[in-house]
Amino acid sequence: MNCTLVLSVLALTAVLLAAGGCGSSEERDGTIRFWQFWDISVVEPIVREFEAQNPGIKVEVEQLTWQSGLEKIQAAIASGTQPDLCELGSTWVPRFSYEGVLEDVTAVHSEVADSFLMWDSGLWRGRVYALPWVQGSRVLFYNEDLFVRAGLDPADPPETWDELLAAARKIHALSDDISGFGLNLGERYVLYKKFMAFAWGNGGGILDASGNVVFDSGENLEALEFYQVLSRYSLREKQEVLDHNFKSGLLGMQISGAWNLRNYAEEAPGLNYRVALVPRPSKQAGTHASFAGAEMLVVFANSKNKDDALRLARHLHQYNQAKALCLEVKSVFPAAVGAIDDPAFAGDEKVRVFVEQSLTCQTAPAHPGWIEMEDIINRSIEEVLYGKADPREALSEAADALRVVVKRFE
Amino acid sequence: MLTNNAAGRGTSRLSPILTLLLPWALVYAVFFLFPFVFSFVLAFLKYNPLNVQNTTWVGLENFARLFQDERFVRALRNTLVFVVGTVPMTTAAALGLAVLLRGRVPGKSILKAGFFLPSIISMVVISLVFKLFYSPSGGLNNALSLIGLGGHGWLTDPATALGAIMIMDVWAAVGYYAIIFDAAFAGIPREMYEAAHLEGAGFKDTLRYVTIPMLRPVIAFVLVINTIRSFQIFIEVFVMTQGGPLGATDTLVLYLYEAAFRGLDYGYASAIAYVVFILSGIFSILVVRRFRPQFGSGGVA
Repeated sequence: MNCTLVLSVLALTAVLLAAGGCGSSEERDGTIRFWQFWDISVVEPIVREFEAQNPGIKVEVEQLTWQSGLEKIQAAIASGTQPDLCELGSTWVPRFSYEGVLEDVTAVHSEVADSFLMWDSGLWRGRVYALPWVQGSRVLFYNEDLFVRAGLDPADPPETWDELLAAARKIHALSDDISGFGLNLGERYVLYKKFMAFAWGNGGGILDASGNVVFDSGENLEALEFYQVLSRYSLREKQEVLDHNFKSGLLGMQISGAWNLRNYAEEAPGLNYRVALVPRPSKQAGTHASFAGAEMLVVFANSKNKDDALRLARHLHQYNQAKALCLEVKSVFPAAVGAIDDPAFAGDEKVRVFVEQSLTCQTAPAHPGWIEMEDIINRSIEEVLYGKADPREALSEAADALRVVVKRFE
Repeated sequence: MLTNNAAGRGTSRLSPILTLLLPWALVYAVFFLFPFVFSFVLAFLKYNPLNVQNTTWVGLENFARLFQDERFVRALRNTLVFVVGTVPMTTAAALGLAVLLRGRVPGKSILKAGFFLPSIISMVVISLVFKLFYSPSGGLNNALSLIGLGGHGWLTDPATALGAIMIMDVWAAVGYYAIIFDAAFAGIPREMYEAAHLEGAGFKDTLRYVTIPMLRPVIAFVLVINTIRSFQIFIEVFVMTQGGPLGATDTLVLYLYEAAFRGLDYGYASAIAYVVFILSGIFSILVVRRFRPQFGSGGVA
């Protein structure tokens, strides 16, 4: 009887420990462990297709959550239980490249560089460590009804900064609860994505090609001064509030991503809106730049199945496979070029704009200190918008702080 | 022989107890004791999960860095404001609520359940609801617009963001502690009230000389639990403001989370964690000392 008790307690303990997340990580030959963030049902078919084409290779797919996926990847690397292939957001890749945990895929890059966008975040010191998989550009959303009410032509969206400002001013004047433009404020991870669209469009940037900080450039100053003026005709709030007001028809314009196409259709079916490229400085100068986030595929350097993992990565990021994923999730687009000529994307007036925008988009700079740099940049923009600093002083202070970060990673 | 026998019997009596404790003890060791000790060691290391081979011993450097770090000082200040601002408020309000609940109130049990409700709802859900409630077109501003005010972004204004979160936190916590006080009231012998009544004590005197002194251990308990919980404030700011605007709601645990999982500086994050631990320890000891039961001292502190 005593024996049964001990056994049952031991069994219970084992169950508790197993439930505690001590997953086993036994190495099996020919099995690729692949961690990614998309719904498993969307990725499974693409992976099974790969297995069918590559007999003998088995793929174990695991879905990570956006809330805790990164922590799980960090813990796995620290304990040596990382998968063979993993999806990483573009802002994270540079740190991983720098730490030397990623397999060098420069050879693949040399072979297929021109067939894909968004390589930048995978570059570090002249080598390539990640393959671009899918990407999401940010475009200008505008409310057609408010355009009409303000005497603007919805078929002719603002193309330059001046036109954007004029449109924002007219819509802002319509009534007290209507705002011209939606400007992010009071949140940590979004500000730079919206502001840098203007800075990049004006030829500005954060780091130059050789990695020097150029955040205090004249181009950035012009962009920030413009942004400051634009903020007078803006609702300055968090993204949720901007989205809420846009859906309620109280916000004229905002810059945001493709997930809204799905959200607005579900949550505000009566809303008449269109999308356009982010305006450029003027008809003669600058580009329609914007921010894009890319999802990258990385092979870990200590994987026992590097070749197979890389083969799977190359299968996944091919245009057709990436397209299958994108058409399901409806918030991102293939990093592989081709969507612009594909009726599956270009056939839809709104989706076409996103695909076109991605051709002139940039990702966050490929620097291992980016996470810290992002905080510095967001804070400098916020200080200007709250009137705590003038643009020139904010940019120069931020540039000094950025130089300290850059120096630490030299 | 005799000793052996005794020892043997002792073990056989002990072993079922140990066996029954084993599952709990193992879980405790793995998920509490180990991280507790490990993070203490981490606080003296430079530890990056992506590069554990290059872990180095840095002694007290992580702690020395703290006080030159503007963001840490800001987070410390905000956290102290939060603790000092919410804990007495929550405790006083909970006590007041419990006193009211002792009186003849219609629908008392429904009220009690209502007060308790926020403490069984996930803090994430409460935070999301309040995020909308505080927005310019949210419930608070709609209510204020009735008296000609409103349109204020409570969480985007650096002057009001922390206060708004503190008020939400008091609201969310008060019911739980009120129920604890309510239960403690039931433990005060009726005779003491009868005696006080015979002595001619009114409501105020009864409260001062009977209720409060008898509740001292429970007040101490509530203060300690609430202090520890408040030092650990994280979910609210993570969901509602991420420390913004302009760092107005940066707190210690939010900073340690970002230092570890975004900055990959686990050593520094552990140092911050131990600052939180030591501060809540000091505050708890002060509270316990102040509210130690004082029988026979006439109930006057």
